[in-house]
Amino acid sequence: MKSVLVNLNVNPCKMCMPLGSVSAFCGIAGCMNILHGSQGCSTYIRRHMSTHYNEPVDIASSSLTEEGTVFGGEKNLVKGLDNLIKLYEPLVIGVSTTCLAETIGEDIPAMIRRYYETRPDCKVKIVSVSSAGYAGTQYEGWFKALRALVSQTSVPCARHEGVNVITGPVSPADARGLKGMLYATGLDFTLLPDISENLDRGYGGVYDRLPSKGTPLARVERMGGARVTLELAAFCPEADSPGRWLEEECGVPLLRLNPPVGLRDTDAFVEALRGLGAEIPQSVEEERARCLDAMIDAHKYNAQGRAAVFGEPDMVYGLVRLCCENGIVPVTAACGGDCREIRSVLEEEIRPVADNAFVERCSVLEAADFAAIEREASANGVNLLLGSSDGRRMSERLNIPLVRCAFPVHDHVGGQRIRLWGYSGATELLERCANSLISAVDGVYRRELQERTQTAISEEASVPRGNLRDQAGELCGGWSTITPLAEADAQGALLALRAQDSSRGSAALAAGRKIRVNRGNTATHPCFSHQAGAHFARIHLPVAPACNVSCNYCRRDFDCPNESRPGVATRVITPQEALDRFLRMKKQMPNISVAGIAGPGDALANFAQSAETLRLLRAADPDVTFCLSTNGLLLPQYADELLELGVGHITITINAVDPAVGSCIYKHVDFLGRRMEGESGAAVLMASQLSGLKYLADRGVVCKVNIVLIKGVNDGHIEEVVQRVKELGAFVTNIMQVIPVAGSVFADMPMVSNREISALRKRCERHMPQMRHCRQCRADAVGLLNDDRSAMFGGQRPQANRRKLERTMRIAVASRSGVVVDQHFGHAERFYIYESDGDLSRLVETRSVGVSASCGMCGKRADETPDPGRIGKAISAVSDCQGVLAMRIGDSPSRRLAERGISVFATYENIDKAVREAAISLCAG
Amino acid sequence: MDVKAEILGSYNAKVFKNRKDHILRINKAEAENPEIAANTRAIPGIMTNRGCCYAGCKGVVVGPLKDAVTITHGPIGCGFYSWGTRRNKARPDEDGRNFIQYCFSTDMQEPDIVFGGDKKLRAAIREAMEIFKPRSILICSTCPVGLIGDDIHSVAAEAEREYGITCVAFSCEGYKGVSQSGGHHIANNGLMKRIIGSNDLAPTGKYPVNLLGEYNIGGDGWEVERILRRIGYDVVSVFTGDGSVQAISRAHTATLNLVQCHRSINYVAEMMKTAYGTDWLKVNFIGLKSISGSLRNLAQYFGAEELMERTEEVIAGETAAIADDMAFFREKLQGKTAALFVGGSRSHHYQELLSEYGVSTVLAGYEFAHRDDYEGREIIPAIREDADSKNIEQAEIMKDEKRYRVFLSPQRYEELKNTIGLEDYKGMIRDMPDGTYVVDDLNHFETGVFADLLKPDIFFSGIKDKYVLQKGGTLSRQLHSYDYSGPYAGYKGAVVFGRDLVMGLQAPAWGMVSPPWKINAEKSAAEGQRDSHA
Repeated sequence: MKSVLVNLNVNPCKMCMPLGSVSAFCGIAGCMNILHGSQGCSTYIRRHMSTHYNEPVDIASSSLTEEGTVFGGEKNLVKGLDNLIKLYEPLVIGVSTTCLAETIGEDIPAMIRRYYETRPDCKVKIVSVSSAGYAGTQYEGWFKALRALVSQTSVPCARHEGVNVITGPVSPADARGLKGMLYATGLDFTLLPDISENLDRGYGGVYDRLPSKGTPLARVERMGGARVTLELAAFCPEADSPGRWLEEECGVPLLRLNPPVGLRDTDAFVEALRGLGAEIPQSVEEERARCLDAMIDAHKYNAQGRAAVFGEPDMVYGLVRLCCENGIVPVTAACGGDCREIRSVLEEEIRPVADNAFVERCSVLEAADFAAIEREASANGVNLLLGSSDGRRMSERLNIPLVRCAFPVHDHVGGQRIRLWGYSGATELLERCANSLISAVDGVYRRELQERTQTAISEEASVPRGNLRDQAGELCGGWSTITPLAEADAQGALLALRAQDSSRGSAALAAGRKIRVNRGNTATHPCFSHQAGAHFARIHLPVAPACNVSCNYCRRDFDCPNESRPGVATRVITPQEALDRFLRMKKQMPNISVAGIAGPGDALANFAQSAETLRLLRAADPDVTFCLSTNGLLLPQYADELLELGVGHITITINAVDPAVGSCIYKHVDFLGRRMEGESGAAVLMASQLSGLKYLADRGVVCKVNIVLIKGVNDGHIEEVVQRVKELGAFVTNIMQVIPVAGSVFADMPMVSNREISALRKRCERHMPQMRHCRQCRADAVGLLNDDRSAMFGGQRPQANRRKLERTMRIAVASRSGVVVDQHFGHAERFYIYESDGDLSRLVETRSVGVSASCGMCGKRADETPDPGRIGKAISAVSDCQGVLAMRIGDSPSRRLAERGISVFATYENIDKAVREAAISLCAG
Repeated sequence: MDVKAEILGSYNAKVFKNRKDHILRINKAEAENPEIAANTRAIPGIMTNRGCCYAGCKGVVVGPLKDAVTITHGPIGCGFYSWGTRRNKARPDEDGRNFIQYCFSTDMQEPDIVFGGDKKLRAAIREAMEIFKPRSILICSTCPVGLIGDDIHSVAAEAEREYGITCVAFSCEGYKGVSQSGGHHIANNGLMKRIIGSNDLAPTGKYPVNLLGEYNIGGDGWEVERILRRIGYDVVSVFTGDGSVQAISRAHTATLNLVQCHRSINYVAEMMKTAYGTDWLKVNFIGLKSISGSLRNLAQYFGAEELMERTEEVIAGETAAIADDMAFFREKLQGKTAALFVGGSRSHHYQELLSEYGVSTVLAGYEFAHRDDYEGREIIPAIREDADSKNIEQAEIMKDEKRYRVFLSPQRYEELKNTIGLEDYKGMIRDMPDGTYVVDDLNHFETGVFADLLKPDIFFSGIKDKYVLQKGGTLSRQLHSYDYSGPYAGYKGAVVFGRDLVMGLQAPAWGMVSPPWKINAEKSAAEGQRDSHA
């Protein structure tokens, strides 16, 4: 029982009596409603019923004013009745009282008596109901109206074979279903009330002001002669029961049944009908079979359900039983009204199911408001709400799905067609439950995953929870574009974003870790230290094929090696192979100081492989410095693991810190199973990058930030990127030019000149150190920066079927090593001239160009450009060839060669293979 | 065809006599500004759309105040029915709280009616303080409270002393007055006497104004505030959409009151004039011409060059930004007709916007207006007070010597009265063309007859007659709640409004109301007739 200490109802789970009373009268043919009291009562109730039923609900009022409260409201009621009769010509008028009328003590039956006396021609049946708002809820109001109607209408009459079926509050659709079933049994029945039509009318283009459908008065009149009354209500108070009145006054036996909700109660109802001699049609049995089938199909989902059921007693009881039949444990059952006898029956029902499912905490509440229901639901671990749409606030706050299955439904359409009763109603409802549980799991797992992965960062940042989406705008200014994101993603992005601002407490943590873990040595890292570049070698282990960000400048054809640039590897290897390769290389090149993972995809998108590789390496070589290159999307997720693994150097590619700019660079971002495009995707990526950077930098990881300069896209934005990453603790930034890759979105992007890039670096150097010795390496590069030997160890793929060509092609190769096509055309001091018939290739001669090269591409001295004369010499050196193979070649020489009919192949490949393929391609072309 | 005669013909003599003065057919030749009966009792038994005093006070005026715990003192129904019913949107307060999502009720039971409910109210306040710790508590009473004589005002005073909060009680029992209008008045009196003027924190902006009668339905208020802020006004408080007791307590520090809904809040404007010298200006932010006009008047009032320039800039920019959309929707809506039956001012305000879309208004009526809302303020002295209006308390307002300020010189004041209509409202009837109808307190029966005979393409009303109209084949949009859409105010709102109308009128379902077998049956019947003639 509700504690006597509670005086403040916070968010009521009940309505007032007159609402129930008028609802019942809506099921009587030709009946109009009038409320005796202030006009607000009928206005409010009309409003609430209309919104639920999406139907006109016309309730008149006697419009009592202050005068009426003093002198009594009879005058008003009489006027009201007169006008109703004149304008609507009703057959029945239900007069329900309100708080006001009851408080001033209006004697409605006497007024009606006088009304008839003064209007002897009046043929309208006027029924009065005492329904003070303070004396009960809509549930009691419903029965009071029916009892009033029956007791003021039915007369003891001749016995007949008819059966009275009286229902408690029911939806129009359920009433229709019930009626259909009763018809099918062939019984002579009177359904009271029948709201199936008046509160769920079809569209006919004509509005009938008088609700003409429903139980005809004539049927009500003969209810007193029926052979039995079936009252489908479990908790109807005796004093309000129309069936009890019929039994006591007219001798019609009363059979009280639970409303047919769920399998057992529908069975009982059908059985009762059979007992009355009804023929149960085959279709009913089929429906039952289907219902059972649906239960078995849905049980695997529903068995996970922990429901809170709230509302009117009958509905709560029926739903609790239905839940129990399906394995849903109704851990919280609450009645808004004060229904005392429901506790024990509910507990009896719930206990075995709860025990069976190891559920310890269940609660049954009476006279509960939503504050109490929410408290209990939350404490009992509810994951499903069943009831009216008033539960939506609780649903939002607790993030638990609400199955709207009771009056009132104000925020969804279709309140009039809620199905609960009978076999098909049970089927429909339990499937809604199962689907809600499924959607909830589907919708929430991302958030849960996110929360799990972000906790390390967010807890420390003591991120306030709440409506993060709302805060997105103000927090990030220009970041407000996050809003189109799904809430979970925005939340994740924001959590991460907020984490940037936290550094407190992290130093100690980092210090603690430093003791245990070898973070490597920056001085011997060729990429992080210019001095080291000449002496120390690195090995990139291509263990990470997959990528989760689609950059417009990138195309990762790792199984078709064609050039040297990030994202390219000849073959992806397993962690074990990586270890083997590392050990082999280490033997040949003892100066290998760094082992890194740079793709060919994203190191973190293949975290299992990356982590395993590092673990194996660390076990084999305690001194090697670990380095990792990533787009940063999963940094917040794996930051702690990286620290544990001893990753001391990391390169994050951050091309923009503004989602608007980012949206032009990234085609899409795949995050926690969702593909995000445009600014949303960019925002999520950036939030992860920046928070990850901050987190790792705070913990002593040396962070390099690569920035790909894309002319016309982010060139004006780069300085801002540099400043931002500096604030977050980056060690060095590396601005690099985009390499236009055929097949990528930016294939036709103009190259940035060295002069431009140099100027930009100079500008950014004011903010922080700039890296100038980057070689934009392959994902499987090995050796010194200037001497990549990867091709020596790659090419183990199966050979393609070779076919001898009809012609022999002559091909010039730019190569430093003589093994691999590894030189820029313009830098070549000599060309290897090969001839190939597509099967065998032969080195014909070596031609010297005779010009000393300077490395423009590699940025040794940015302002140095190749001698213009040299290109001409190089071209003439290869003029008798059909093709030229070079690692890279400028636009202009490429064009000039094309003019001479010489095809150019930019590639990075074993010479033998490259020549053969070029020959085949030339022949085909 | 005279719909008025048609309607009155269905009534009995008494009702005929009453209703005939509430229905006007505009004929300018006869009368430029004819008199209409308004603010009189609704007739029992004829389904009025009106609510009660409680609805006006709690439901409309004080309900949206988000920082107050508003307790309905009475049985459960009234509190429940006014819970989230109007779509007053509100952002959470600085402390993250927003009480308008809640419904608080003392849920009086039979014993409370018999033995009095003030004890329960006192206990409920204590519980509210313990659980929610609000800065202010408002108490609204329902019918039985007035009858059993609970002294809610002394309970409120006690609570103020005990908890150091603002606690204001409103005796807004449903039976008071003839409509929710009485509740507005009672609410206004309470706000004026107890809240406005209790915080002298000066405005931060140069041009501080209050926005009165903006309840932020569907976000209207936010759009209006956006425009005002763009120009450079400091909106000190809004009555009461997304409003707070805290903001309203400073309302007297504003220079000017902008009165949007004339009916529900005009009392505050008038009382603030008396007490603090605050001038008021009637504004309308529905429809482009009205918005621009209101903004220009507002700039005129302050008379600052920068404001006027900025105003023109904003008007030009905002108008240009929506011009294409407006033109597109106008194309679809041109030539349609509308009927409007809403509360106190919207039926007037929306006519402008509708005409900008090429939609003409054939019927307009108010649910709870007074005569001045129809005929203009000049007739106020001529309005006779009846017993019902006498029952609504008139607050005695004195000049607050300490806070009274005069912004305009007397000459400038007179000048502005003439040029920008300062402190005036001309009413709706003057703007209604010949042949249109003005109906006060339109009821269920009349709605049906008007819909049938005038055949408006769209009927703007509320939820209670929405389905009445739609079942009869007339599109209805709720102009109280905007049918879960909005905002409709301001420039951006104008586009949303146009979109909603087009969406409704072009709903494909309307084209399928007649099933093909009926159409074909009629056709073959007609053909059969032709054949037999031949």
